Amino acid sequence: MGQNFQETMRFNVEKDKAINTREVLQTVYEALKQKGYNPVSQIVGYLLSGDPAYITSFNNARNLIRKLERDELLEELLKYYIEES
Amino acid sequence: MSGYIIEGGRKLSGTVKISSAKNAVLPVIAASLLTEAECVIEDAPELEDVRVMKEVLISLGAKITCDENSIKINASHIDSYEAPYDLVRKMRASFLVMGPLLARQGKARISMPGGCAIGSRPIDLHLKGFASLGAEIELGHGFVEARCEKLRGATIYLDFPSVGATENIMMAASLAEGQTILENAAKEPEIIDLANFLNSMGAHIRGAGTDLIKIEGVSRLKGISYTVIPDRIEAGTFLVAGAITGGEIILENVVSEHLKPVIAKLIECGARIVEEPDGLRVIGDGRPLPSDVKTLPYPGFPTDMQAQIMAFLSLAKGTSMIIETVFENRFMHVEELKRMGARIKIEGRSAVVEGVEKLSGAPVKATDLRAGAALILAGLAAEGTTTVMNAHHVERGYVDIVGKLSSLGAAIKKCD
Repeated sequence: MGQNFQETMRFNVEKDKAINTREVLQTVYEALKQKGYNPVSQIVGYLLSGDPAYITSFNNARNLIRKLERDELLEELLKYYIEES
Repeated sequence: MSGYIIEGGRKLSGTVKISSAKNAVLPVIAASLLTEAECVIEDAPELEDVRVMKEVLISLGAKITCDENSIKINASHIDSYEAPYDLVRKMRASFLVMGPLLARQGKARISMPGGCAIGSRPIDLHLKGFASLGAEIELGHGFVEARCEKLRGATIYLDFPSVGATENIMMAASLAEGQTILENAAKEPEIIDLANFLNSMGAHIRGAGTDLIKIEGVSRLKGISYTVIPDRIEAGTFLVAGAITGGEIILENVVSEHLKPVIAKLIECGARIVEEPDGLRVIGDGRPLPSDVKTLPYPGFPTDMQAQIMAFLSLAKGTSMIIETVFENRFMHVEELKRMGARIKIEGRSAVVEGVEKLSGAPVKATDLRAGAALILAGLAAEGTTTVMNAHHVERGYVDIVGKLSSLGAAIKKCD
């Protein structure tokens, strides 16, 4: 076993840059709704804590939201609120 | 007294499905007391602790039926407010019925809790929370009783982010009048899972998983069907099993974010861990590199994985230091690991682990749940035969560990 400890080790799901944030959010929203959750509250919980336990695994929603960086997701939501509303 | 016989030295390979989390399902079962409607818990793990928790609910008047892996709980009629000593002494988590009983019945009487002898885990934070919500607390000889007319929301600061206290207070506050703010709350994934369960029942809980949880009390909760999160400690144990045997295992049904500190440590020690669409793959390759470990509340390295990582590091190419900061009496596995040839010295809450080239099979005994898991892991890597006695400790927290390890190629069987 060998490893270069001078390098920062990072363990993360590979992010798909091309992923469409709106589509992901809509799919996750619908999956949460279908499972009887309050979708907005669950997504807020995820954004605050970073824990995917907030997101149901139904319809692959949990894996989908993990493909987005949380900070980028928040940035997009904020931009949309400021620019589009 | 039953145990496990393990022939060590086999590389594990294959796929294992991780069961639902023991530490998530126990509070969810307790929370089912908060509603008169039926709750169904799907994929409930068949564990001794789950059996004890079901007994506690039955003793209070709830009706429970089990169908394959699901548990149906109907607590429409609660005719007792006292959790019996015989059950509570077996399992500390029985204390989690206190919050729901107090919220639903206005009174609860519980014997002082038992559980693994890993250190004192005072219940004062639970009681402080209930008192803040308006309950009157009476401590008697070996029991605690709480009474209230109606719980009222309050701001509660926990001196320590206790998982049990956070869960108990969250459950009680769900049916309290007004808003409760819980500061310095525990952040464990099991807290989020309980909040998800309660919110699905109609509760208003925000901020679980952070150190500030807000609970807006509601007048009643409904019954639901629910599946709890995967067991991160069982998953961590199997990750170590793959690494310590130089094998290659795929773990299904895991939330990798819950395992970050364990994964980081295993990678630091030289194991390869790959995240796949449906799980995690661990690949071990020879003796690990040494590493230092300090247990901390979540998201730090879990105390429930300390014994298992120690078994792994006992084979490292160098010296490691393990510091246990959560419990004061959690090195009981050290003497047993030493019987297998490990070189470990304890100084207070620190253990210095001087890696050896190999461990040798020996008769050892599990002193608690995770100690038992660590000894099984050591036995899998050791030369020769290891007998781990006191299987009952291991059965409290691992579903069919013999079947799961055997399916990966381990030579392990249960003995009486």
